[in-house]
Amino acid sequence: MDDYVSIQGLTKRFDDVVAVHDVSLNIRQGEIFALLGSSGCGKSTLLRCLAGFEVPSDGRVLLDGEPLASSEPHERPVNMMFQSYALFPHMTVESNVAFGLKQDRLPKAELRERVDAMLELVQLTELRRRKPHQLSGGQQQRVALARSLVKRPKLLLLDEPMGALDRKLRSRMQFEVAAIIERLGVTCMMVTHDQDEAMTMADRIAIMDAGRIVQIGTPDEIYEQPNCRFSAEFIGSVNLFDGTVADDERDHVTITTDDLESSLYVGHGITGYEGMAVAFALRPEKLFIARENPGRLHNQAHGRVEEIGYLGSHSVYHVRLDRGKLIQVITLNNERWAADRLRWGDAVWVHWDDEAGVVLTS
Amino acid sequence: MAVRSMFSFSRPSFPGVMLGLGYFFLYAPMLVLIAYSFNENKRVNVWSGFSTKWYGELLANDAMMAAVAMSLKLALATATLAVVFGTLAALMLTRLRRFPGRTLFGGMVTAPLVMPEVITGLSLLLLFVALADTIGWPANRGFVTIWIAHVTFCMAYATVVISARLREMDTSLEEAAMDLGANRIQTFFAITLPIIAPALVAGWLLAFTLSLDDLVIASFVAGPDSTTLPMIVFSSVRLGLSPEVNALATILIVTVTAVSLVGFWFMDRNDRKRQREMQAALAHPD
Amino acid sequence: MNLLRRWLPDRRWGVIAPPFLWLSLFFVIPFALVFKISLSEMAIAQPPYVPLLEYLDGVLNVRLNFGNYTWLFDDPLYADAYLSSLGIAAWSTVICLAIGYPMAYAISKMRGSLQNLCLLLVVLPSWTSLLIRVYAWMGILKNDGIINNVLLAVGLIAEPLRLLNTTGAVYVGIVYAYLPFMVLPLYANLTRMDPRLLEAAADLGARPLTRFLRITLPLSVGGVIAGSMLVFIPAVGEFVVPELLGGNEATMIGKVLWGEFFANRDWPVASAVATLMLLVLILPILLFHRYQSRELEVAR
Repeated sequence: MDDYVSIQGLTKRFDDVVAVHDVSLNIRQGEIFALLGSSGCGKSTLLRCLAGFEVPSDGRVLLDGEPLASSEPHERPVNMMFQSYALFPHMTVESNVAFGLKQDRLPKAELRERVDAMLELVQLTELRRRKPHQLSGGQQQRVALARSLVKRPKLLLLDEPMGALDRKLRSRMQFEVAAIIERLGVTCMMVTHDQDEAMTMADRIAIMDAGRIVQIGTPDEIYEQPNCRFSAEFIGSVNLFDGTVADDERDHVTITTDDLESSLYVGHGITGYEGMAVAFALRPEKLFIARENPGRLHNQAHGRVEEIGYLGSHSVYHVRLDRGKLIQVITLNNERWAADRLRWGDAVWVHWDDEAGVVLTS
Repeated sequence: MAVRSMFSFSRPSFPGVMLGLGYFFLYAPMLVLIAYSFNENKRVNVWSGFSTKWYGELLANDAMMAAVAMSLKLALATATLAVVFGTLAALMLTRLRRFPGRTLFGGMVTAPLVMPEVITGLSLLLLFVALADTIGWPANRGFVTIWIAHVTFCMAYATVVISARLREMDTSLEEAAMDLGANRIQTFFAITLPIIAPALVAGWLLAFTLSLDDLVIASFVAGPDSTTLPMIVFSSVRLGLSPEVNALATILIVTVTAVSLVGFWFMDRNDRKRQREMQAALAHPD
Repeated sequence: MNLLRRWLPDRRWGVIAPPFLWLSLFFVIPFALVFKISLSEMAIAQPPYVPLLEYLDGVLNVRLNFGNYTWLFDDPLYADAYLSSLGIAAWSTVICLAIGYPMAYAISKMRGSLQNLCLLLVVLPSWTSLLIRVYAWMGILKNDGIINNVLLAVGLIAEPLRLLNTTGAVYVGIVYAYLPFMVLPLYANLTRMDPRLLEAAADLGARPLTRFLRITLPLSVGGVIAGSMLVFIPAVGEFVVPELLGGNEATMIGKVLWGEFFANRDWPVASAVATLMLLVLILPILLFHRYQSRELEVAR
């Protein structure tokens, strides 16, 4: 089902501030969907509307065909894992996980069985009698996950799931949490400001800015095919060239820009017209850097290395082009001690393939 | 380190010295009182030998003992209702962002904290008189009128103590409970109440001691047959020092100190245990 | 629809109604009564005042009597009592602040258990009886009290000093009774202060005194106000301390009110005294409320 969760025209106003502005999106059954945006973009408010902690000012939400908007939080088939985990400090791990099922007045035997199975799944069986403060950060997170999953919600909400973990643990838990959610086949919506987290865990991502959805797509679509400057700049790093369409053909486009001596050649058509103002987005790792002139007709530029950032697996070069534009180039360090390593101040050529970049019309 | 330098004689800091003097100022009078309660002489300030006879006299003083019973009953009833109302008021102030009359209510909660007792006492008496005049209740002033008066000013203190705890409690705990299927009332009893329980105890104890201590308000709203402990102590000390009052004061001071220190020791031990467990959990990650 | 839901009674009224109604009935309405009765005449009756509104032959008579107020302004006794109450309360507040601030500061700089214990030791006296603590001072300040006995024994004085039943004794009693109420809010304020602010100031070259005057003190203004109001306002109407320690020397307004009510049985004048006291205190109470409501309510 493509519209298992369907958010339609949802708007949330606080007094004069519009926190969520006319958001519509669909989430597929069994999908992990991420809302990605900087703090204050409205993503948490949207999540809280789904959980029932905020009442939308306008619009509606359908979950498995049923409208959700009017019911109280405790009546919704939706569960949430809180950023702070919100583990009940006066209850053991076991009681925390059982809390939701107890509210449903499940028979004792079944309750016990489901709690056991869930603790087993998150590998907390040994620690079931501990109190939350006796657990490490990662263990607390797994309790919170187990507690929100044990009721088999139709929709699981994750609020900044890795926000309270340190960096090292974070990357490990991203895979672990995603694996558990996928194993159970739960539909999940997560909110995060961390693009690595969204790209690692989510099947699809929606980028949010100032209360609106900017782009929805799979992680690679969002990265490789941003639909606007905001998306392109928000995810990863990008070199942007402002220019105008000089030649608009069916199978290619050329763009002239003040930043380059030669024009840009793009190996596919766009919906535009000659003379249209556009931006050309080029990811740093799509660029090649060399001492020799590659001898291309298009898509190359001469410059000088200004900064080098050595990051182990790869290096980032800041290259000042002859026309004054500063661009970033990333190269993989696939040789241990490269003999011909570039140095500060070296004159270099950068060049790229016809399909390496994206034309942005907005 | 900071502690040692504060108390060391080589380099006493100004605040450290003031703290020491402050404690001396606060406790010396009470220690003098306790010492003299064991004075055998009827003239309190003339020491003539150790004796516990005034404790015996105190226990044999029927009027005094009746007042003690009355005041304890009153304090129990006051503290209990004050905590119930204080909890409701604290929930309003910390959990409801807007409701009609919020500002007025905030004022009604904070004003009794500072209101001079003579004003509160007089105004409540006038209310009771007016009520008796119009609806015939309360026909007699006594336990119930003092109780109402005490609840009114004690609930403000209970509210302050409880709302401080509610304010620092993570509200996502309550949201999590609701998210897991508990309604507001279930959430309150299963999550909020156990977490704020220490504050309820603190608020209850505070209201209890305030009620036990009050002289002025009770004097206004009491009837002729109802005498609380402070009232009887007051009429006695007005005439001068009394060895029985010394004995009573000693019992009170020792009880309060003992309860407080035991409570402190108990909470401190729990705190330390908790700290140790948290460190242990972090030391063995995942 | 949202607006409707906001104003119509809902389940929240179960929480709102009981304390709201209780306080309205037993705290707000009584003040109106005090004001009303301050405008009526004293009578030898039960209750001892003439009703304000009266039906006589089908005509509603309203008798407003401002006599009680003119009486208060005519007799210098009352003006003196008000002024000396305000003066004693103000100076006691200053003394409490001077003693309490360093105490709160010292406690706020401690760590862990010791901090809690020291705080407990400050608050603990206020949990015992005020009456009894004031009474303790009677024994100390009397002519044959401990201070005079010691001074006589040492030979510093030839005959006992008069310490009890003086204004000085009232100061001692009020400072003693209210000191914990000054320390507590100051401590709460100071302990919340980020110690890194002082480190940053030191790093930027500020000396200890400058750090205190430019960083700590301005940031603790809220605590100073709360503590001062917690001492000042009740001290203005204090009765027990001037009654037991002040004798005839210190007439404070709380004592005057008590006398009018219990000795003279003049309820209307007592009410007028209370009304005027409230009028004087309304600004300090509002100031306290502004600080306290920030402390009490939702962190926004």
